[in-house]
Amino acid sequence: MMVEGGKISPGIVEVQTTNHRGFTPEEVAERCLSKLLSVSDTAPPAIKEQANAYKDHMRAVLVFYMKEAVKSDRTTVYNALCDAGQKDLAELIRRL
Amino acid sequence: MAFTGNFMCTSFKQELLQAQHNFTASTGHTFKLAMYDNNASFDASTTDYTATNEVSGTGYSAGGGTLTNVTPTTSGTTALTDFDDLTFSSSTITARGALIYNTTTGGGTGTTDTVVVLDFGSDKSSSAGDFTIVFPTADASNAIIRIA
Repeated sequence: MMVEGGKISPGIVEVQTTNHRGFTPEEVAERCLSKLLSVSDTAPPAIKEQANAYKDHMRAVLVFYMKEAVKSDRTTVYNALCDAGQKDLAELIRRL
Repeated sequence: MAFTGNFMCTSFKQELLQAQHNFTASTGHTFKLAMYDNNASFDASTTDYTATNEVSGTGYSAGGGTLTNVTPTTSGTTALTDFDDLTFSSSTITARGALIYNTTTGGGTGTTDTVVVLDFGSDKSSSAGDFTIVFPTADASNAIIRIA
């Protein structure tokens, strides 16, 4: 009697890097989207179109709230620097 | 001496059958990812983390970064597990590949048992930026560790 299966396999990681900056909300959102939703190449056209429309909507929502998080974190950093007496540095952060 | 592809370590397969690895989130073992230059030579016979040919640079410490486990699940007849993406922030690093290893194999401490060898395909570099390892989609065809 044959026993099916039993293959153990490693996946393939992707490496993303930046130079002299961090990732933008758009770049992070794209990474997030690929974890949340994938659209099969073999899906029927109508399903694919609907899924891609949903993905586009999710992308916009994710980018918006990531930008909100970035702004909010900058406010936290601004206040931490102000509290430490680093007003000039705080102002630089606020203007980013 | 170079990276020649992705490998599931043979010793890991044996240790799985000996119940030595636990990938459960929060309560499982602690896995780390260490990165190497292309002088490293790893394959399925690699059994342990080594500091030889490990990269160095701002934002990276010897031994690499700690991974966040995602509790194993199943998809059809395939069992799979995943990790959260790992970022070395504000870093200046050049790496060609990586090892994932278990630092608490069997519930112990300070262990170095390798799980997989990862080949990035080419040198990847960050310069005063972020260096992120993006794990594949956690499904039956792509997850980082799959048992079909």
